Amino acid sequence: MGLITGNFLERKIHSLTGIIPIGVFLLEHLITNSFALKGPEYYNQKIEAFQQIPFLVPIEILLIAIPLAFHTILGLYYVYLSKNNVLQYKYFRNYMFYLQRITAIITFLFVLYHAYTARIARAAAGIEISYEFMNGILSQPLFFIIYLVGLLAAVFHFSNGIYTFAISWGITLGPRSQKILQNVCTALFFIMSGVGTIELIALAG
Amino acid sequence: MPDSIHLKIKRQNGSRDLPRWEEFKVPYKPNMNVLSVLMEIRKNPVNVNGEKTTPVVWDCSCLEEVCGACTMVINGNVRQACSALIDKLPQPITLQPLSKFPVVRDLKVDRAVLFEHLKKVKAWVNIDGTFDLGPGPRVPERERRWMYEISRCMTCGCCYEACPNFNSRSKFIGPAPLAQVLRFNKHPIGAMTQEERMETIMGEGGITDCGNAQNCIEACPKKIPLTTAIAQLNRDTTIHGIRSWFRK
Amino acid sequence: MKVIVIGGGLAGLLSVIKAAEAGAEVEAFSLVPFKRSHSLCAQGGINAALNTKGENDSIQQHFEDTIVGGDFLANQTPVKGLVEAAPGLIYAFDRMGVMFNRTPEGFIDLRLFGGVKNRRTAFAGATTGQQLLYALDEQVRKWIAAGKVKEYIGWEFLSAVIDDEGICRGITAQDLNSMEIHAFRADAVILATGGEGMIYGKSTNSVICTGSAAGAVYQQGVPFANGEFVQFHPTAMPGDDKLRLMSEASRGEGGRIWTYKDGKPWYFLEEWYPAYGNLVPRDIASRAIYKVCVEMGLGIDGKNQVYLDLTHKDPEFLEVRLGGIMEIYRNFYGEDPVKVPMKIFPAPHYFMGGMYVDWNHMTNIPGLFAAGECDYMYHGANRLGANSLLSAAYSGYICGPNAIKYIKGMQKSAADTPQSIFDRELARQTEITQSIYNMDGTENPYIIHEEMGETMITDVGVVRYEKNLLRADEKLQELTERYKNIGINDTGRWANDVMPFVRQLWNMLQLARVITLGAYNRKESRGSHYMPDYPERNDDQWLKTTKAYWTESGPRFEYEDVDVSLLKPRARKYD
Repeated sequence: MGLITGNFLERKIHSLTGIIPIGVFLLEHLITNSFALKGPEYYNQKIEAFQQIPFLVPIEILLIAIPLAFHTILGLYYVYLSKNNVLQYKYFRNYMFYLQRITAIITFLFVLYHAYTARIARAAAGIEISYEFMNGILSQPLFFIIYLVGLLAAVFHFSNGIYTFAISWGITLGPRSQKILQNVCTALFFIMSGVGTIELIALAG
Repeated sequence: MPDSIHLKIKRQNGSRDLPRWEEFKVPYKPNMNVLSVLMEIRKNPVNVNGEKTTPVVWDCSCLEEVCGACTMVINGNVRQACSALIDKLPQPITLQPLSKFPVVRDLKVDRAVLFEHLKKVKAWVNIDGTFDLGPGPRVPERERRWMYEISRCMTCGCCYEACPNFNSRSKFIGPAPLAQVLRFNKHPIGAMTQEERMETIMGEGGITDCGNAQNCIEACPKKIPLTTAIAQLNRDTTIHGIRSWFRK
Repeated sequence: MKVIVIGGGLAGLLSVIKAAEAGAEVEAFSLVPFKRSHSLCAQGGINAALNTKGENDSIQQHFEDTIVGGDFLANQTPVKGLVEAAPGLIYAFDRMGVMFNRTPEGFIDLRLFGGVKNRRTAFAGATTGQQLLYALDEQVRKWIAAGKVKEYIGWEFLSAVIDDEGICRGITAQDLNSMEIHAFRADAVILATGGEGMIYGKSTNSVICTGSAAGAVYQQGVPFANGEFVQFHPTAMPGDDKLRLMSEASRGEGGRIWTYKDGKPWYFLEEWYPAYGNLVPRDIASRAIYKVCVEMGLGIDGKNQVYLDLTHKDPEFLEVRLGGIMEIYRNFYGEDPVKVPMKIFPAPHYFMGGMYVDWNHMTNIPGLFAAGECDYMYHGANRLGANSLLSAAYSGYICGPNAIKYIKGMQKSAADTPQSIFDRELARQTEITQSIYNMDGTENPYIIHEEMGETMITDVGVVRYEKNLLRADEKLQELTERYKNIGINDTGRWANDVMPFVRQLWNMLQLARVITLGAYNRKESRGSHYMPDYPERNDDQWLKTTKAYWTESGPRFEYEDVDVSLLKPRARKYD
């Protein structure tokens, strides 16, 4: 059932935005935050370089905020449309389908919190993002756990999303190609989760 | 070996009636299936408490898993009752009607919507008439084989029952008709009207409502390659969508 | 022009399509959604002399095989029409998208079947009936979507509405959910209600094949022809609830029948019938298996069963050409026929007899037609494998246009028939229904049905002794008496299953006597009808069609000469 356009186009855009730009943005986070492994100065230096991108705010709104809002609002509606039945039909893909929806909600809540604290409130208060700022949050165990859960949810949602994206766009057709991609996505989940966790530990100091 | 078969059946007099559970014990015989047990009950409709009751109402026709009529939820899983062999089921055996369709009575449900969906997607080859026009198109055997796989769909409703995206909140037309669309789109004569089918499944409740839970292929008693068909249609509709957008 | 068609199988749906194509308004009634009709249980294929295998097959050869297979009891002129139309019918199905197996060149592939020496059977795996039925179901859906055909699913035919001139003006039918009975007007009514396997209790038929509709109009004056000719399919899987068919195609593709004799495999069909081997016609194969098991006591494990062996064939070959039955055997028996031979025994399968119709498929009641297994037309005393899908399709194919032709020649239409005619029949049916609801005796209808089936299968089965036939008729009369003492366990007025079954049971009992007494009267052996007391075919006296008329005290029989204008009767030999 379509929320805006009837059906096809909005679903396709929803599927696409999950990978580009949102998935790309997630990867960007993992890359940027990996600089923390080389020490606070190096991290701060790189982050500052990013802040220098011209037209940052319009770019953030056009390429991040709008696609993210689109993907989120429609996605939540799609979550509402499903009636899960994992207790009855205990198939692997059915669990993945269920987890995709669970992680959607977790990621949504986490991104709300994260975007507010790390971007909106910070900018409003005129604070520059820095190692010290992140360290201030992540050194508290509770917030570290919140970030860890958010990371795992987002990474799961992304890597499983690649699997479904490939079907939704008719890339992987048969069971064999789908199985191979399934394995690739599983590997991707573990790699990204691992890298992300190491980065969080580094930022937590 | 048990000396009796213990059944728990969800019974309901009509769609507005409240369901209740009734239990039965039927003397064990080897090689029985769920339907033959139900047939035993109607020869002596007495429940486990020794009370006389009405015979259980259910749908069935062929008893060899080709007609799809006797589909119900057995021990929590959707399947045909005729091929549900008692010797392979843990007891007590629970029988429930399909949950996604209106209950008529007891285990009998109204699955008319399945056929409505086939109508909606124009699941047929649009021939001019049944008169003799000579042989039809030649078809490579390899092509025929997978089209035949899809054309074995008996519209039983298993894939609908298992699909999390087919429910009262959504308008999804379900997995089975999508596979039929592919089958008719690839048939040499059916392909002549493929745009109509394509436009339909690109509309409300169409192919993009599939959430890739892939329960359909697990639940399908005929192991019809539903997920491959859906993925193929995803590709076809995307290409069709892009093409027709540029044509405008 | 308004046409009512009863039955959603091959014959019914083709009648619907042909009538709709001719511009009639059609109402199609069916007990079950069309897709669940019994035609889908046909497995092996459909015959047509396409002659694409370089075997010099011809329409004439198809004709002769059919007539000889039917032991000369089929009227030859209609059979000629059948075999001539066969190739065109296959091509029409082909255009509808039926997934017939193909040759490497993409042509329709053909395989061998029983009682013939040429490959003549087009097939779609081992679910040919299903594929043909689905194709017609799809075409009818197209007509429904276009608003030209109206479907009544879950309705049961109760009776024909016959006016004072004896002309059929419509039907009465019951909605099996609301249990309401209605009368419907029509200029022509086509019954395509299939066979009556349920009379034998367990058979290869679907449970909806009660023959109740035929039994109803039989009691309204339509003669039932050749009832005694019941085909036993040699290869069915014995079962508790159903005898599941293992297609003749399994033998056509090389399957061999055997049992142990003196500790060694004995291929008795190949030994007894060297010319046709495992591919002798069904009546002959059934009798041979019966003889080996019942008379010689050589069944596997001492039971009434022999092996149908495909284990010497390539597994992929079997999957592509016989997948459907492999699956049934695996699902219901738990053994893989690729590795282990299947255990089989003959089972009631097809009724050559049926409502008596003229060559236009009209019964003796003007406006009432019959097509498909419920008529008696094409198979004589025994039907050849893969001719049933053909005759079902063909009879529907010509019945539709014949009904239209009849309507065009009518004096006055059903619309001009006074309402009182319909009200009268409606009142009669309502009363019958009410009397069933009121039954509060001690007999269970399902037990009466079970006993009827047991009687029919033991006494009116593959081998029929005179004294057993008499015993069977006595039993049937006893059951008819006990019928009156039925206690109906469900008096609900919503989706009540018992009430219609009790009505069907009555109609089945009527036809069971037609079969039994018809068999008793026919003092010869011909096709499926085998009487050890009279082991030879007797053309002088019995080259005749049986016509049974209903009377209060039981069937009254008349006999009519068979049309043998095209092929002179000769001895039927397969050895």
